[in-house]
Amino acid sequence: MKKIHWIILGILFVITLVLEFTVLAGYDSHWWNAIPAFYAIFGFVMCYALVYSAKFIAKKIVNRDINYYD
Amino acid sequence: MIEILAIPGVILLIGAALLSFFSEKLRPALFLIFPLLAAAVIILRPEGYSVTGSLLHYDLVLMQTDSLSNLFGIVFALGAFVAGVYAFHMKELGQQICALGYAGGALGVVYAGDLLTLIIFWEIMAVASTWLIWAQRTPETDAAGMRYLIYHILGGGLLFAGILWHSVVAGSIAVETIPMEYTPANILMLLGVAINAAVIPLHTWLSDAYPKATLTGTIFMSIFTTKTAVYVLIRMFAGWELLVFFGAAMAIYGIYYAVICKDMREILSYHIISQVGYMVAAIGVGSELAVNGAAAHAYNNILYKSLMFMAVSAVMYSTGTSKMFHLGGLYKKMPWVLGLYVVGGLSISGIPLFAGFVSKGMVIDAAGYGGYETIMLVLLVASVGTWLSVGLKLPYFTWFDKQDYEGELKPVPLNMYIAMGILAFACIFYGIFPNALYTFLPFETDYQPYTVYHLVEITQIALLTFVGFWLLRKKLAPELTTVLDLDWFYRKAAPATRLVFVQKVDTFYGRVEDGIQASARYLSGKFQNPMRWLNPFTDEENEASSYSPAMEVVMSFILLCFLIFAIIYFL
Repeated sequence: MKKIHWIILGILFVITLVLEFTVLAGYDSHWWNAIPAFYAIFGFVMCYALVYSAKFIAKKIVNRDINYYD
Repeated sequence: MIEILAIPGVILLIGAALLSFFSEKLRPALFLIFPLLAAAVIILRPEGYSVTGSLLHYDLVLMQTDSLSNLFGIVFALGAFVAGVYAFHMKELGQQICALGYAGGALGVVYAGDLLTLIIFWEIMAVASTWLIWAQRTPETDAAGMRYLIYHILGGGLLFAGILWHSVVAGSIAVETIPMEYTPANILMLLGVAINAAVIPLHTWLSDAYPKATLTGTIFMSIFTTKTAVYVLIRMFAGWELLVFFGAAMAIYGIYYAVICKDMREILSYHIISQVGYMVAAIGVGSELAVNGAAAHAYNNILYKSLMFMAVSAVMYSTGTSKMFHLGGLYKKMPWVLGLYVVGGLSISGIPLFAGFVSKGMVIDAAGYGGYETIMLVLLVASVGTWLSVGLKLPYFTWFDKQDYEGELKPVPLNMYIAMGILAFACIFYGIFPNALYTFLPFETDYQPYTVYHLVEITQIALLTFVGFWLLRKKLAPELTTVLDLDWFYRKAAPATRLVFVQKVDTFYGRVEDGIQASARYLSGKFQNPMRWLNPFTDEENEASSYSPAMEVVMSFILLCFLIFAIIYFL
């Protein structure tokens, strides 16, 4: 990832935030709409949670040697 | 008669039968004609068209068309055609016949108007698809194919038992919506269909067998079995609330394994379970939007899931491995395959302008506005996992990462690129023009996917998930492992399973048999000569030859009475 890629992603993110606080300011169909930047937080936290919990499950329960069934 | 031959499923079965009469050179081209013929029939027949027949005292509806069956019919015909293009270089007769027969079975199910026709095509599908695993011809795939077949025979058996029971109780064998009552007949049918839909914990046949099928066989498998089950669920079990929870569980379960697995085909196979989970959950919600969403998601899923399987199979064809551990840094050597895979990856992750954005949005909205907000959040977690596992992890460790793949690369045949190109075009087309898909949906809809809210929602999730992936990518680095699943219970635990379910049962039956034989011996000994206990006052052996004439008359009379009674009874 080059710097320019991160800048583009950053700009995209800022645009979504601007839209959220302007066009969608009065939007309220789910309880979580009250939380600012909910979907961004959700994506980031869930990504971390998924990776760490999957890693835990893999290590503790499901991972075996490649020739396990042979 | 001619009408029966023009049923889409039958056209493909006829094609499968005819293929063997043609030379190796002609066969791949001929293969493509039959799905096109089937598609032509589907387009030409008006909605409501039906073909009837009869078997014993059952009135069969061999073909019945409406918008739902046409939606699945068209995408199955298209799928069979494109998979045929992808397999154009493959000359093996057995695989070609099975693949076409398999597609024919799936199309037959979709157009079946009664449950007996449905179960016949259902079983054709199971048997034909098994050969696509066995065609690999290794001891490992022989065993996997057998496990797959046994699982599907069990599923087919449950469904058939349910159908027979249902036909007696309900007095109808029509394929129609069943009211939500947990009667034995309904439970049996639901279980039979749930096995084919890979509903957890009945999913292990899929994750066990799909990664082991032939390169082109996997493409066919990813298209038909689970999606026909989704079709039957929509048709018969829409609105069964239980499905909402099982669907959500499937979505998460599949994602976890997609994150854990390190083999490209295993990742995609587990991911099928997750995607079918969305559809199953939507079917459970049962509203018009939800059913539309399930149908649209099945349609789109066939497009992008088979595209991804094709790209991954192309890498396997070229490198000879599906383990990401051995791959990496392929982006310079296989840029087109990467590009085509990414179209599939963006579609399946529901990124705007790609097909998945529309149908996934419908399913998630249907859950959110149908009173299942928690389920909506669960499905959003699965979206994060989708983007993380098949959108980012798989392509990153296959085409990028530091490691440069140094093995020899076999050139990918042109027909593979053409097939992937068709699907990639379809993914983008249905993403930009969702209305083209709406016309096929079971209920009329003017669903608007491109709202500011949706765009903000998905962009934020995708961006921050990407940041999370980038920071944690080392944790997901490929390694060589076997990942256990519930199939452990019948694979590794086979000796214990055999002891409990085979040997113990055998011993029990053996004991019972011994007991019955012993009692029979005892009774026949006792009744060998009734005179012994009819006349206990003599020690003489009463041989029949030494009976007095009077006794012979009495005995004959008794026998005659028996005969007369027997004749009267049976007449």
